[in-house]
Amino acid sequence: MTPVYFSFTSAFTLGLTGLAFHRTHLLSALLCLEGMMLSLFIALALWMLQLESTAFSAAPILLLAFSACEAGAGLALLVATARTHGTDRLQSLNLLQC
Amino acid sequence: MTYFLDLFLLSLVVGLVGVASNPAPYFAALGLAVAGGVGCGVLVGHGGSLVGLMLFLIYLGGMLVVFAYSAALAAEPFPETWGAGSVKVYVLMYLFGVGVAVWWFWGGHGGYWVIDEFKEFFMVRGDIGGISLMYSVGGGMLVVCAWVLLLCLFVILELTRGLSRGALRAV
Repeated sequence: MTPVYFSFTSAFTLGLTGLAFHRTHLLSALLCLEGMMLSLFIALALWMLQLESTAFSAAPILLLAFSACEAGAGLALLVATARTHGTDRLQSLNLLQC
Repeated sequence: MTYFLDLFLLSLVVGLVGVASNPAPYFAALGLAVAGGVGCGVLVGHGGSLVGLMLFLIYLGGMLVVFAYSAALAAEPFPETWGAGSVKVYVLMYLFGVGVAVWWFWGGHGGYWVIDEFKEFFMVRGDIGGISLMYSVGGGMLVVCAWVLLLCLFVILELTRGLSRGALRAV
């Protein structure tokens, strides 16, 4: 396992564990998701660069477009949560009322 | 340049540790910005100038700015830095986990280190040539991406419309 592979793999794993465990804010969860998408982007781009496969070069860009969609939908949910609950703490989302 | 790449890779992992260790969202956004910046450095060091530039402009310039603005929605009176209480414990725990993984993969033997990154000079840069492929034979996927972005715009508009009309209703 080269240092490059190890780096983005451990970055992805760190983002995943951060998302899975201890989250207090919804924004922190979204930031962990963004970190995972960042490591995936770097992984796809490095795949293209190391294998010198030119045809693969579009994949990180398409991933970035989908990642922008994910970030936009997540932040819209954050705004909606801040409107209904007044805060974005995930503990307050357990309440079954707005 | 090889040592710079190692420094960038180390900073990428440390930045993700800073995101994952549950600090206040301001500092998590800062850690993600650091990780994005050094990720751009990694890509440029491997010869992908266009993808590095795209990561820097679109990811850092576009998306993370929106995230930094949204940190205002998660405002707290006493934001926790990486040195505070439980966050410090998580940082040390994650760094210990990364160290265990390093020992697991490279303990005892030298590992596989990349010698150098500068191999040949090409007339056509690989990543830029690939972008032209995306516009020619990958046009269908491009249309799908544009459609998804347009759909996402309407999703966001419906989500943030309000409680009375739109996707979010008070039941």
